[in-house]
Amino acid sequence: MPIDRELLKGSIALLILRLLSERDMYGYEIIQESVHRSQDAFEFKEGTLYPALHQLHKRGYLRSEWRTGENGKQRKYYSLTATGRKAARRSEQEWFSFTKVVNAILSKANS
Amino acid sequence: MVFFHESSERHTFEGQLVTHLDRIVSRVILLAKLPGDKRRCEVEKELRAHLDDVAEEARSQGYDDEAAVRIVRMRFGEPEEVAAAFASVYSPERLAKRIFHSAILVAVSTVAVVVVIGTVQSIAAICTANSILSTLRDMHREFFGFGAIVAGYCSLYAGERLFPTSLARALLPSVSLGLWLAALFGWLIPQHGPLPLVAFTCAAVGRLLQRVEIPLVWFAGTGGPLLAAWALCGPLISGWQFPWLVWLGLTLSCKALREIVRLFERVFVEDFA
Repeated sequence: MPIDRELLKGSIALLILRLLSERDMYGYEIIQESVHRSQDAFEFKEGTLYPALHQLHKRGYLRSEWRTGENGKQRKYYSLTATGRKAARRSEQEWFSFTKVVNAILSKANS
Repeated sequence: MVFFHESSERHTFEGQLVTHLDRIVSRVILLAKLPGDKRRCEVEKELRAHLDDVAEEARSQGYDDEAAVRIVRMRFGEPEEVAAAFASVYSPERLAKRIFHSAILVAVSTVAVVVVIGTVQSIAAICTANSILSTLRDMHREFFGFGAIVAGYCSLYAGERLFPTSLARALLPSVSLGLWLAALFGWLIPQHGPLPLVAFTCAAVGRLLQRVEIPLVWFAGTGGPLLAAWALCGPLISGWQFPWLVWLGLTLSCKALREIVRLFERVFVEDFA
């Protein structure tokens, strides 16, 4: 089932922080990983990922560096800073609290 | 990567693909108005690498170049949307940079006006066998006048930048600032208030007439308001003679300010675009 674009937009920072807490990635890789883990349910416009990455970078949550891959291609890798790790944990907790509350309301409504 | 292939037909498609990808990135960069050349280059490189990856993925799945372009466009989204998102990320930085550049423009313009009018007055002092030192020493009294010239000229320039398509709107900053200054001068220097106001108007009208393609017509811009003030209010400085020296100082100041604005646009053109 396709996910509402606005809903996805609001949680893009959380997804980026979560994925980067596992390993350093470049933009295209973040998208591939999101699509793979969501089993193709995520259909957001890929161009909007980069402004989100830059916003997080500006806030000091991410650092970036250009690396050359095996095929000679240069890619900008992002990784979490210490502040970014804290923000990732905080965002995750917020998300779980939020979904718990929403689920509680929805389950009541359905029962 | 995608530039060289054996078949000429294939080469054309590759060329089209490259052009399409370049066009998408260029559109984002143009509309995002990112501050700084380095950042622009970096974003360009990053987006281009992403689009190359998407195009390569599409081609590896067996799509031809035309289909690859469609897939890239669909997945990437509208360049306008991406540019707007980038612009909002960097808008505080861009604003800070603009304020900083504007402060530089005002500071340099003020120094230029002081130098120009100081030079005119020094030459006049030599011609009338007066002391240059005492003339220059008294220049601090004209502080409001110097400020008014810079304010008049720069406010109209700011209006032109803010509203490039409407002259009526471009005049708004000058008119608003002029009214504020009239109130301020009327309160601070009620005896001498009209002269800085006339200087303000002359500089603004001078800038306005510099837009006219006819050479030297802007001389009337600095002369007109001065002449009107002289005719309406009588002596602006002393005696009933037309203040030629003031007019000369204003005119040369406007000329110097025009050159400074041109230089400013050359240096900061990317960030001010």
